[in-house]
Parts: sequence; C-alpha cells; structure tokens
Amino acid sequence: MKRRPLSLVVRLTVSIGAVITAVLLTFGWMMERSINNHFVQQDVDELNSVVQALQYLLATVPADIPADELHQRLASVVTGHRNAQYRISTDSGSLIYSTPGFNLDTFARTARPVEEITIDTVESWNDHQEAFRGAVLWIESDRLEGKARFRLAVATGIDFHLHYLDGFRNHLRIVTLAACLIVLLATWFAVYQGHAPIRRISREMRRIRSDQMDFRLEPRSVPAELVELTISFNEMIGRLEDVFRRLSDFSGDIAHELRTPITNLRTHTEVALTQARSVEQYREVLYSNLEEYDRMAKMVGDMLFLAQADNQLLKPELVDIDLQSELRNLFDYFSAWAEEREVLLENTGEQVHVHGDRLMIRRALSNLLSNAVRHTPEGQSVTTTLQVNSGNVRIRIQNPGPPIPEEHLNHIFERFYRLDASRQRSSEGAGLGLAITKSIIEAHGGKIRAFSTTEATTFEVQLPLKME
Amino acid sequence: MKILIVEDEVKTGDYIRQGLMESGFVVDLARTGLDGHHLALTGSYDLIVLDVMLPDVDGWRIMQSLREARSTTPVLFLTARDSVEDRVKGLELGADDYLVKPFAFSELLARVRTLLRRGAAPVFQDQLQVADLMLDIPRRRAQRHGVRINLTNKEFTLLELLVRRQGEVLPRSLIASQVWDMNFDSDTNVIDVAIRRLRAKIDDDFEPKLIHTVRGMGYMLDVTQPG
Repeated sequence: MKRRPLSLVVRLTVSIGAVITAVLLTFGWMMERSINNHFVQQDVDELNSVVQALQYLLATVPADIPADELHQRLASVVTGHRNAQYRISTDSGSLIYSTPGFNLDTFARTARPVEEITIDTVESWNDHQEAFRGAVLWIESDRLEGKARFRLAVATGIDFHLHYLDGFRNHLRIVTLAACLIVLLATWFAVYQGHAPIRRISREMRRIRSDQMDFRLEPRSVPAELVELTISFNEMIGRLEDVFRRLSDFSGDIAHELRTPITNLRTHTEVALTQARSVEQYREVLYSNLEEYDRMAKMVGDMLFLAQADNQLLKPELVDIDLQSELRNLFDYFSAWAEEREVLLENTGEQVHVHGDRLMIRRALSNLLSNAVRHTPEGQSVTTTLQVNSGNVRIRIQNPGPPIPEEHLNHIFERFYRLDASRQRSSEGAGLGLAITKSIIEAHGGKIRAFSTTEATTFEVQLPLKME
Repeated sequence: MKILIVEDEVKTGDYIRQGLMESGFVVDLARTGLDGHHLALTGSYDLIVLDVMLPDVDGWRIMQSLREARSTTPVLFLTARDSVEDRVKGLELGADDYLVKPFAFSELLARVRTLLRRGAAPVFQDQLQVADLMLDIPRRRAQRHGVRINLTNKEFTLLELLVRRQGEVLPRSLIASQVWDMNFDSDTNVIDVAIRRLRAKIDDDFEPKLIHTVRGMGYMLDVTQPG
C-alpha cells in the first residue's frame, strides 16, 4: 500500500519553520560574534594605550632617574586602566617591573612576541579562575640601562566582558526559541486558514447529488490558485451531467417507446376478448399484434446494438471493402423503392477501398441512404460522393429537400431524437437509425457529421483508410 | 423430417414445437441441457434447434459433444446476446446457423427449411413451374400462360426464390438477404415495393394469383391462398 503523502499543513509548517529558525539562529550567531569582536577590540585598544603610554614613558624618562621614581612612573602607566597590568623585563630576562598583585611571569615567558597587538594577534587565557587577554611584544628604549630591547607582556582582565556575553547569549537563546515557536504557530495557523477556501469548496461539492447536477462552483469566489481546480471540476460535472441526462433520457425514451406498443397490444387484446368474435376478427387482432411485436423486437435489437456500442463491445471484423461496389449494391437494393418515390440515385467519385466490417458499414450506409431517399422531393436525386484525402475516405450522401434547422443538426445523432416532436411512431422506426450509424462509424475510428443548407442536406462520413 | 428442440424456456419451447409440428415436422422437445445432450447424441435427428443459454449443460457443450461424435446433424442455435463472440463461437463449434432472440417464428421456419434442404442432394432443374408460370433458369426467362414476361435481373432472382420455396412463407429479412445480400432489417418497405412490382408483372393480368402476402410474416408463392 502506498503511504499517504504528508499533510500540507505539516509540510508547510515544517519547511517554513525550519527556514525561519535557521535565519534566526544565524542572526543570533552574528550578533553574538559582532559583540564579542567589539569587546575584543576594546581590550586591544586598552592594551595598545597601555603600550603607548609605556613607550612614551620610556622615550621621555631621564636616563639618570632614581630607581624609586622610575618605579613610581612605571606604576602610573596603568592608572585609569582598571584591569590592565604589564610586566617588563630585559632581553636577558631580568625583571624590571611588574604590576603588583598580578602574576604575568608564565605568560611573558611562554607567549610568542608579536609585532603589533590586533584582534588577530591578541591571546586569551585563564589563570586562577580569571580570564585574561593580552600579548607579548618587544619595545626598545635608549634611556634605560643604555640602548636595549625589552620584553613587554601586557594583559587585561576580561571577566566582566565574558560575564556580559554569557548573559547576552542566554538572552538571545530564549528570544530565538520564542521567536521560532511563534513563527511555527503563526505558519500553522496561516496555512490552516489558507486552506479554508478548499474546505468551503469541499462542503459545496458535498451538496451535489445526482438530481442536482446543474450545480456549479463559482470561480470568482475562490482564490486565484483554486480557479483552475474549480473550472476543471465544473467541466467534469458538466460532462457527467451530460451523460446522466442522456442516460436518463434514454431509459425514459425506452420506457415511453415500449409503453405505447404495449398499451396498444393490451387494449386491443382486451377489447377483442370482451365479446365473442368471428375467426376473421380474431385473426385480425393477432395480425395487428404481430406487427407491434415486430416493431418492439426491432427496437430491442437496435437498443442492444447501441448498448454494445456504448460498452465498447462493437468489434468490427475487418475486411477489405470496395465502397463503390457496396454503394452500387445498396442502390440496387433501394432502386425499386426509390423509383416508386421518383427519386434518382447517383454516385460520383473515386473507387475507394477501406478496411471495415462489411455488415456494419453496409448497415450504416443503408441507414443514411434510406434517410436521404425518404427526404428527397419527387423528381430529384440523392447523390453520393466518394473521396480520398490524406489517409481518410470521405463519403458524402447528399439529398435536396427542406433544410434541417440548425438547432436540430447537433442532435439528430442522438437516440430517439426526432426532428418533429409530434411525429410519433411513423414508418421510420424508433429514431435509432442515425444513432446506430454513428456508433458504427465511431467503432471504425471514423467521424460523421451533418450539415444542411436551403438546397440540400448532406451527411458526411469520414473513415480511416486503414484501421489500426 | 425430425427436429430436436433444446429450450429451457417453457413457453418458447412449446410455441416453437407447436409451430414446427404444424409445419409438418416431427418434433422432440428437451427442456433441460442434460436431456438435450442425451437426445442429441442418441436420437436420430435431421436438425437440432439449440438454445445456448441453458442452466445446466449449456448449448456449447452439446455442440462440442456432437462434433466429437462426428455427427453431421445441422445445428441452428438461438442466442439472446447478439455479440460477435457468441456468433463466432457457435459457428466455430460447428453450428450451421443462428438466430438472435427475439426472433420471428417465420424466420426460424425459413431457416430450418433452408438447413434441411442443404442436407439433401441439390436439385438441378432447368425449368421450374408453378401453375402456368414457367421459369427458364439458365436463360433467366419467365413466362406465364405462354406470355413472355420481362423481368429485371433482381426480379428474376426474387421470383426464382419464391418459386423454389413454393408454399413457404418467406420473411422480408430472408428475402433481403437471399436476393440482395442485405443481412439486416431496413426500416424501409423496399421488399414490399419489389414484391408489388413483381406482382404487377406476373399476377395482375393472370389468374390464379400466385404471390400472397402473409400479414406480419412475409410473402409466399403458391397456387392456393394460405390459411
């Protein structure tokens, strides 16, 4: 079994939530980093100002300054820099001064001296639960103990910076988490709300029943994304409605068409039985009944044929058919009847062969021909034309006579359709002839259409030369 | 001539039996497939009318058994479904003809007679005669009471059919298929017109009338009026 795809709400919420969370986390990380950098820069500036003050001191101090005073001056370098400290020693390592209360000995010895203190060169470490940032560098002075190089280790405590950063980081996490939750909730709600039109459409669709097939969704009342769905749905309902209507018309027609002969038979038989009659009269009743039975049997046969066509059960047995000779045979068959109606039959056009079921094609053409003869005024002629063009055979059967009004032309291939609604059961059968013709042609992969002008009515059949 | 009918539908079976008996045949009626199967294989019949939709042993089985027994008895099968598969299946199994329900009894009778005639040695006759109507088959000429009658080709074929099957009621559909090779019902009165024209030529000026209309069934040619 195929698994049901994830719900749209979950999908959208998860994907939007993931993106927003990622964005928030990146943003938080950048904030934290930039604040950290800012602090480092502050520390670096402080360290540099200590170094500068020291350099200035060393450049200006008199060479013969007493040790006491020098010590005092060196101590004053870090005044105002609350956390700063330094340790200065000679190249050979003997200590000159170290800020009291601090121990920079290890750092001064192990750290690698740098050219200049920057964010990149500054180092940080922990010592006795305290955090420091600092650097080691060489400074030169010709005032102290002759011209010489000194090793300077300078550092500043950064505990309060780190403390602040920790607080900030915690704060940021809580805010980010809360924002993510809010975003997820908002997304879920928005998506759910966004689907409201779909639920509304669904509720409307649920109202459709087989007896209310005229229902249509209103494409203007839905969001743009759903317009296409609504239109497709409306079209589908339209097609269903059409089939439904035809089916119910068809069964209604069947009932009607059968009711009439059955009523006739019943009435006739009942009346005949109300009193004793002569053999002749009984015979008359039976004959009359026989005619009705015949008509009903023919109609049932025709309807069975159409039902087979509807269920795609018409399987033409394909043979090679010479259409011209087929038409000639039909002309021959209809000739006496046409002559009596004073209608001429003419055939023009090419010699054409098609693949088809001989019996079915003959039946289709016979229906069209007999129709044409029936509607041709005396003294005029029915013309058939055979033509081949681009893989198709075109058979036209044309008869002069009163035109078929436009509104009927689209319907004449429907079952039981009669041009004249009042013209009930005439000699023309039940009105299934053209429907049968159409299903035969379609079972052969062909098409049929009719057009009518004031001069003539034409039925045009198109058949593929070869059926696949 | 002895005919076996295998038909489970009571009324249909009864009426076919009555109709065939009144047409001069000896008829056995089997109402189940089993009886039919047994009778078909053991009895000696000139023709079997077989409904293929039987509840127990269906018609196809009976036909198969007949073929396996190398029987040459012609079989006409009745089917309710006018599907190509049924038709093909029946004919492949060795049936000789078929009819789709609902069918006209006159149609069944005409086909029964055709099938029975098929078994008999064909009669080659150059001359056919009914009363004073003479047909010269090779020259396709007709004369009545010594008077030559001009007939079109199809009119002659039609007349020949009627004469050869003198005394039989020929349904319109049978006439259409035998004379014009049109194997379907047309909703026109083409056959009536053709008969009327033929009548005008061979009957109008002569006595007795030979071509008779049997209402609701078809036409027949005979010296005496039917029924």
